[in-house]
Amino acid sequence: MTNPPMTDTQMTILSGAMDRLVPPIDDLPGAGAMGLAPEVDSLARRHAPYHHAVVIFIEKLASTWSAGLLPAQQDALLRDLEAADGAAFNAVLELVYLAYYSEPRVHRRVGWRGGPLQPEGFPLAPFDPAILQATRQRKPFWRQT
Amino acid sequence: MAHDLADILIIGAGASGAAVAWRLSDAGLRIVCLEQGRWHKPGEYSTSFPDWEFRGATSFSFNPNVRALPEDYPVDDTGSDVTPLMFNAVGGSTVHWTAHAPRFHPSDFRVRSQDGVADDWPLSYFDLEPYYDLNDQWMGCSGTAGDPANPPRAPRPMPSLPLGPDGERLARGFDSLGWHWWPSDSYINSVPYRGRAACNNCGPNGLGCTVQAKASTDVTYWPAAIANGVELRTKARVFEVTTDATTGRATGARYFDADGNVQFQPARVVVVATNGIGTPRLLLLSKSERHPNGLANSSGLLGRNLMFHPCAAITGFFSDGLDPTYRGPLGNILLSQEFYETDSARGFVRGYTFQMNRSTGPARTAMGFTMAPVAWGERHHADFAMRFGNSTTVIALGEDLPEEHNRVELSESLTDSNGIAAPKVSYRLSENSARMMAHACRQAETVLDAAGAHTVKATVQLRPSGWHLMGTARMGDDPRRSVVDHSCRAHDVDNLYVVDGSVFVTGASVNPTPTLQAIALRAADHIRKAHNR
Repeated sequence: MTNPPMTDTQMTILSGAMDRLVPPIDDLPGAGAMGLAPEVDSLARRHAPYHHAVVIFIEKLASTWSAGLLPAQQDALLRDLEAADGAAFNAVLELVYLAYYSEPRVHRRVGWRGGPLQPEGFPLAPFDPAILQATRQRKPFWRQT
Repeated sequence: MAHDLADILIIGAGASGAAVAWRLSDAGLRIVCLEQGRWHKPGEYSTSFPDWEFRGATSFSFNPNVRALPEDYPVDDTGSDVTPLMFNAVGGSTVHWTAHAPRFHPSDFRVRSQDGVADDWPLSYFDLEPYYDLNDQWMGCSGTAGDPANPPRAPRPMPSLPLGPDGERLARGFDSLGWHWWPSDSYINSVPYRGRAACNNCGPNGLGCTVQAKASTDVTYWPAAIANGVELRTKARVFEVTTDATTGRATGARYFDADGNVQFQPARVVVVATNGIGTPRLLLLSKSERHPNGLANSSGLLGRNLMFHPCAAITGFFSDGLDPTYRGPLGNILLSQEFYETDSARGFVRGYTFQMNRSTGPARTAMGFTMAPVAWGERHHADFAMRFGNSTTVIALGEDLPEEHNRVELSESLTDSNGIAAPKVSYRLSENSARMMAHACRQAETVLDAAGAHTVKATVQLRPSGWHLMGTARMGDDPRRSVVDHSCRAHDVDNLYVVDGSVFVTGASVNPTPTLQAIALRAADHIRKAHNR
């Protein structure tokens, strides 16, 4: 069965929480203000355990979370949730990181090339056996039987 | 439905199933292999997609309980300190491994004689040496001769992979302490080899290799075995090795095909190659009136003595202009065997190997990989910056000792998608292993300091580290103390062989795949002799 997308209310709670999980830096807004909550929802719906975690995460925040709370109060709610349901919290944190660190603006900031790793790969100089000079001077020390 | 009689039926198309299939494939025998997974095309691997980090965490995870694909079976690991990892496909876990190719040492086969613990193997390093060499050729080994920590051996077919600036840094750290290090033997092409490309240093070689530079048996042994006439049947989930009620001998296997129909493949000889969890599961499922405790289990040791490798991850953080440490194969750079053998002054028996691991992509870095996730909240960006591209990890892989209470049983509540009982794993890290890992963490910190790390953090026991599944159908000369003999033939059933990591008597402190493949090749030669081929 396909999981339905989040409601606007759920999206607002998630987005607000995401801004506290990954706050603004330099000229980048927080993960929620970057508009990444729909991406988190989309990723979650591709993997049932993630989706289950997001549902729990939002459900447990819903009664207490408000955009009007001070950041410190929001952080306290998140810490409480982390302590009470670490598995769901950590799964949502993974999703938020997966969405945030797949974002081209973030890649530019942290110096990551982005895109698939293949077929380009990375250049490295070939192995130079000269670096083994010190170890080669050591006598064989494997244990005889 | 029943099929035509096979001379040899191999169950499992992974590291060892492929090796034994190829080795037997020119003997004029009718060989059938049943594999529950499917073929993967290189272009399907995660690293070909922009969302490779998401795929690596979900549908291409190392953990079958996370992937939960139709070809996977769940593993009840709630009673285990280590999460078992595996992949079900043609190529098995070699599709997913990092392709480390170290060998056991001669002393690893004589643990009881030398250190008074565990048991000796009924064969020696030198019995396996020609098969190690053969396997190195077929899988394609990149490496350098002359390592003083190991016996001399035949030259590798390819030079070592690049160390990279991070590897060179760590190597100099080892040198400054006078400690051993050597470039890792890897089944990854450093130059083009046998029609496969050279590695292009993309990084996470544990996520499948699009360019086929990394050896997995779907691109090494299997094409040759199939060309020689071996029939490989995929999406075939075996749930019973059948036996004759009178003689007790194996008669074939029953399996579910892709449509969920039960099929029967009769065979003269059955070879089980489903590794340290799959093998005891299948043989326990195959109980009968003649074999009431499971097939080949008159010793009561089937499923017992499960060994992983205790695994600590010690990460050093650098701030002085290293090139980004995510460039190059994740885990095939260098190793140190300075602490490989027993030294009673250290407070534990046996020893460990250090292996260097690189860092990885940004999302996987944030998710933690070998340590806790990056902090959320106000510390997030600073914590991420310290790790990403600026960290190098020393993995300590310790020798686990066999203990009968560490075991694989059949779950009474969990089943796979065909309703077959799932394996239940009970495993506790021993006090010896805990002392060993504590020692390893201290020594790793020393070498990372010597290499110039400004900060070092250790994960003393990495839970998702159960790649190496060993010991659950151990070999030996005494049928009361072992499941198979030195040729991998079951003591109880003379036409049943087990050729995977479950036959290991001890686990050494290196990656087991070259050893289990060498054992499989050697077993194939015994099977040929038994059939006068």
